[in-house]
Amino acid sequence: MEEVQFFKVEYFLEVLPKIISKVNVTLELTIAATLFSLILGIFIAVVAYYKIPVIYQITRAYISVMRGTPIVSQLYFFYYGIALYSAVVRNMTPLVAVCVVMSLNEGAFMSESIRAALMSVDEGQKEAAYSLGMTNFQLVRRIIIPQAIRIALPPLFNDIINLTKMTSLAFMLGVPDIMGAAKIEGARTFRYFEIYAAVMFSYWLIIFVLGLIHKYLEKKCAEAY
Amino acid sequence: MEENVMVKVEHLYKNFGNETQVLKDVNLTVNKNEVIAILGPSGTGKSTLLRCLNYLTVPTKGIINIGGKKVDAAKHSKKDVVDLRKHSSMVFQGYNLFKNKTALENVMEALITVQNKPKEEARKIAMNYVAKVGMEDRKDYYPSKLSGGQQQRIAIARAMAVNPNVILFDEPTSALDPELVGEVLSTIKDLAKEGTTMILVTHEIGFAREVATRVLFMDDGKIVADGTPEEIIDNPEDERLQQFLNVITK
Ligand SMILES: Nc1ncnc2c1ncn2[C@@H]1O[C@H](COP(=O)(O)OP(=O)(O)O)[C@@H](O)[C@H]1O
Ligand SMILES: [Mg+2]
Repeated sequence: MEEVQFFKVEYFLEVLPKIISKVNVTLELTIAATLFSLILGIFIAVVAYYKIPVIYQITRAYISVMRGTPIVSQLYFFYYGIALYSAVVRNMTPLVAVCVVMSLNEGAFMSESIRAALMSVDEGQKEAAYSLGMTNFQLVRRIIIPQAIRIALPPLFNDIINLTKMTSLAFMLGVPDIMGAAKIEGARTFRYFEIYAAVMFSYWLIIFVLGLIHKYLEKKCAEAY
Repeated sequence: MEENVMVKVEHLYKNFGNETQVLKDVNLTVNKNEVIAILGPSGTGKSTLLRCLNYLTVPTKGIINIGGKKVDAAKHSKKDVVDLRKHSSMVFQGYNLFKNKTALENVMEALITVQNKPKEEARKIAMNYVAKVGMEDRKDYYPSKLSGGQQQRIAIARAMAVNPNVILFDEPTSALDPELVGEVLSTIKDLAKEGTTMILVTHEIGFAREVATRVLFMDDGKIVADGTPEEIIDNPEDERLQQFLNVITK
């Protein structure tokens, strides 16, 4: 009788490269979504910072929805729900759709990190700048932004790590990422144990590297001044 | 405006909301080289007066004229305010140094951004003032690495470097530990000796008597006594002023 191996190391090593070869999809999605959510986050944070009427109330409601509902429901609502009424959404590839939803979601979180950083520059420094005759623009560019970046970087990096994990959602719309490759391989060999071990290992590796950068940034930011 | 009039305040009023009248018709003329000390119980509008001079607080009514730049509260533009501010500088109770800049960079900042000086020239000027307040050896430190007294001395250098018509001091030693008050007072004293025009809100009566050429006593939003240190501090006539001095010198 053939002995059933609990964990086949050779198979794990065979499947790992197949899984890792899809890491680029994960990274592309992470990078694109990071970019868009940053832009959105900065926009919302500036609106909140200056409390721009009407837009501010809208962004608060938006943030509340994004933070108060699961990302999977947002993805389905967007890709299947809104698609019923919007040709633009209907014509999106799954990859683009996931990227849009992830950006909308994470932008809400990033805006909070950025807003807190902008708020962290105390009133006294602003008054000092004004009292010397500096303009609002000079104050923002030379005093507020440099200090805000230092405060915002570590939490923003946490948001990026969240985005990386979130990319596994893409698979739910059929995007052939790490999870997709795992499903195909599973249907062939049924060795889910090794396959999903490889999947987890791949994600862990990416996030481990991001975590190192995060730690480095945190240290740099803490010792700056 | 006369050549040697540095500050002129006419019929200045400030209300917060509808109920709180903080400044009630303040009039004040400060000449070149005068060192004005403002005394008064807390909550009488001393800070508000100083802050109206550079529009950190926007007056309700009245005209401010500093170094020839005249701004009427009834009709002022953003540009008027920025221009007015270029004629004065301020030293705050809480130092308010820029945290992302070194001591020297703090002093250079307005020279570069407001006065458009080349960086090298700004550095030279700033170095001169940093030396003047005795902070050469700490010029490359960030504010977080300086004591309160050292931060305040840099703040004073920053205020001097822009060569203003008047420097406004709002209780510059109130936030300091007692052992650090001396170094800041002696820095201000040096400035006074050089003939820098200043308006100084302080609770240090002895210091006011020593450096001020003129002392104002404020109470309830008005200047109620105005005279030499001898007149105001040594021989006070106003009853409220006598009470105030009794309490504070106890
Ligand atoms: N931003 C503000 N809003 C409302 N009231 C204020 C504000 N700033 C100052 N006040 C009030 O104005 C009065 C004078 O304050 P202030 O000028 O700080 O007095 P002083 O410096 O003499 O202690 C106080 O009663 C204070 O509560
Ligand atoms: Mg005060």
